Amino acid sequence: MTEQPAFRAEVFQNEYLAADATVVDAIVTVTSSGSGPAGAAPTVAQVIMIDCSGSMSEPSTKMSEAKRATAAAIDALPDGVKFAVVAGRGRAEMAYPGEVQLVTASARSRAAAKRAVTQLTPAGGTAMGTWLELARRLFTRSQAELKHAILLTDGRNEHETAEELAAILAACEGQFLCDSRGVGANWSGTELRTIASSLLGTADGLPDPEGLTDDFRSMTAAAMGKAYAQVTLRLWTPAGSSIRFVKQAFPHVEDLTGRRRELSARIGEYPLGAWGTESRDYHVCVELPKGAAGEEILAARVSLALGDEVLSQGLMRAVWTDDTALSTRINPRVAHYTGQAELADAIQAGLAARDAGDIETATSKLGRAVQLAEESGHTDTAKLLAKVVDVVDARTGTVRLRQRVAGVDAELANVRSVKTIRVKKTEEA
Amino acid sequence: MAGARCAACAAEVAAFDAFCEACGHELSQPAPAPAAVPGRWISSSGGPATCPGCGGSAFSVEGYCDNCGQRRASAKDHSELQLGALAAVTDKGLRHHRNEDAVGLGVTTSIVVGVVCDGVSTSTRPDAASNGAVDAALGALMDALDERTPAGDAIEAAARAGQAAATLAAGPDPGPNPPASTFVCAVVSPGAVTVGWVGDSRAYWLPEGDGVAACLTVDDSVSAHFAARGVAVPDDIPDSQAGALVRWLGADATDTQPHVHTFAPPGPGRVLVCSDGLFRYRSGAAELAAATPRADPLATAQALVRLALDAGGQDNIAVAVLPYPPQRGDEHD
Repeated sequence: MTEQPAFRAEVFQNEYLAADATVVDAIVTVTSSGSGPAGAAPTVAQVIMIDCSGSMSEPSTKMSEAKRATAAAIDALPDGVKFAVVAGRGRAEMAYPGEVQLVTASARSRAAAKRAVTQLTPAGGTAMGTWLELARRLFTRSQAELKHAILLTDGRNEHETAEELAAILAACEGQFLCDSRGVGANWSGTELRTIASSLLGTADGLPDPEGLTDDFRSMTAAAMGKAYAQVTLRLWTPAGSSIRFVKQAFPHVEDLTGRRRELSARIGEYPLGAWGTESRDYHVCVELPKGAAGEEILAARVSLALGDEVLSQGLMRAVWTDDTALSTRINPRVAHYTGQAELADAIQAGLAARDAGDIETATSKLGRAVQLAEESGHTDTAKLLAKVVDVVDARTGTVRLRQRVAGVDAELANVRSVKTIRVKKTEEA
Repeated sequence: MAGARCAACAAEVAAFDAFCEACGHELSQPAPAPAAVPGRWISSSGGPATCPGCGGSAFSVEGYCDNCGQRRASAKDHSELQLGALAAVTDKGLRHHRNEDAVGLGVTTSIVVGVVCDGVSTSTRPDAASNGAVDAALGALMDALDERTPAGDAIEAAARAGQAAATLAAGPDPGPNPPASTFVCAVVSPGAVTVGWVGDSRAYWLPEGDGVAACLTVDDSVSAHFAARGVAVPDDIPDSQAGALVRWLGADATDTQPHVHTFAPPGPGRVLVCSDGLFRYRSGAAELAAATPRADPLATAQALVRLALDAGGQDNIAVAVLPYPPQRGDEHD
């Protein structure tokens, strides 16, 4: 049987540094064909956390659509997958099964779960940390290789503090993956991003509950389609260097720098979660000791690993030169993702300033965001921003804050601020 | 009576023997022709055992230090070679970060050779090109000479092998500026010196006594090409480009056929094969001859490298010294 390499890592950088330069940037594009390791796909467990707080009844379509979406996600579970449904209020309760345990998916258990979901009633508050904690307990007892959760909320995390949520997220980190979704108009983009970021999932908002069913089905299908449960990015860097940052740059910005686990003096690894047939970009920035013209060093060896097995690797190099024509070139992908990361920061800072009533900062940050979105051709973000600010001139980033903004538009701009687009081919010519 | 001896193995034999008791040679026959001894060669290629950056001794398969990441050079900063009566010295000079020149020597039964490859410093990893090329070229050259290939054809085979090696040095992803090197070699046979080159490394004839010294090569540079046609470099070519290399070995090279020139030395002398790290300081044949001491080949090569270093050592230096007529000089090694 022929084994095709399932992963491919490509490095994009300008390796030439001026004599006094010490910082080297590279974009590493990792693409998996998804054919997977020899043997079967990972075993999967899934927990669905559905918001059952009182606000879910306003309007009533929210609760009914959430139930339909949960039923669709349950239907998308293949036989044999372990699953459970959690009802989220001011505290978490089991919706299915009745006990704190996972159930093996079968025609019978799926039908029972869907019956239980139809009987959920909206009442009470919102403390998402307790929902996540119950999910963690459910997963703790599971041997599944890939543990995936979906968290759906329609509101803010009102019945526990941000610190309480952060402490629970820290306990859940590395235990399971979680996609977070907001439905309706009253959820917080920052909260959804925080959960998804800690638990290596995706975050999004669906103002219209009708979109939930498709979204739940596709999140579940994506989890079931992962060929690798726990992939890590492994980074070798030379003695005397320091890592400025390691970020996922596509499909969304995720700073991984602080998630390093040391493997040896020179090697650390960063969790990437599960991989299916997909392609992601990473931005690695390393600071090196000074070098002399003509000197070449290996600035980093970037590997994708599954346990101890290295799936693919790319080399980041640094070559010092006196030739300024070489050293002043900026790699278009590095420039593009530097801009995309700045775009995400500008949106988040601008919206935070706006919430805090700091009009000046909000106008300047959101203006810069509009400019960056325009420059990079990020039309989705440009559209979202146009709901929060009146764009006078996108090219110069001249904007005026809108007086009347639907709350959900600002939250959508926030939760989607981290979504990036890839560099257009024409920009690389 | 003084014992007769076998013509083949020199063992004592009795007068009535038909065959040698020792080696079986039929004593009525003359001594057999000596078996051809394959040519031997050595070169300066081969990286240092420890990392010059940190002293580490472990390197990745791609040739980077496992500790500090520094790329392992393809050659040492300074090498001295002696093979029979031949000698060569190469040094990184005073300004360059590493030695990108490579030099090699070869001897066959009656022919001696010297090869110099100068990595083009504006290319990527030039030392990989020059060291790869010098070894490949020498190997091919010696094989061809062992098969009694005429010197000119042997040099062409050597240049092809050097070009293949320089191209391989680029790896699977050559990039915009792949490794590149010059190539020059001298094949010194009884009665003739044949030189071949691609690029601007040179071979000189330095006669013993009163003869006229000569540069045997013509640089593959913009200015030398105009000079060879007897015209001045046009005004619209700036000085900085006049010396630019127009031919080289490497993945991006399009014309790698070596120029070949054969010269019949009028008497004894020496052939110098060298990189511009030396001749930039004594470009004319007469001034180079005047600066070259009358010493044994190794001392001569050392003195020429010292001359270049004392003059500023702007570039890597490589020089091979080949006495004419060729001496195998096996007794020395």
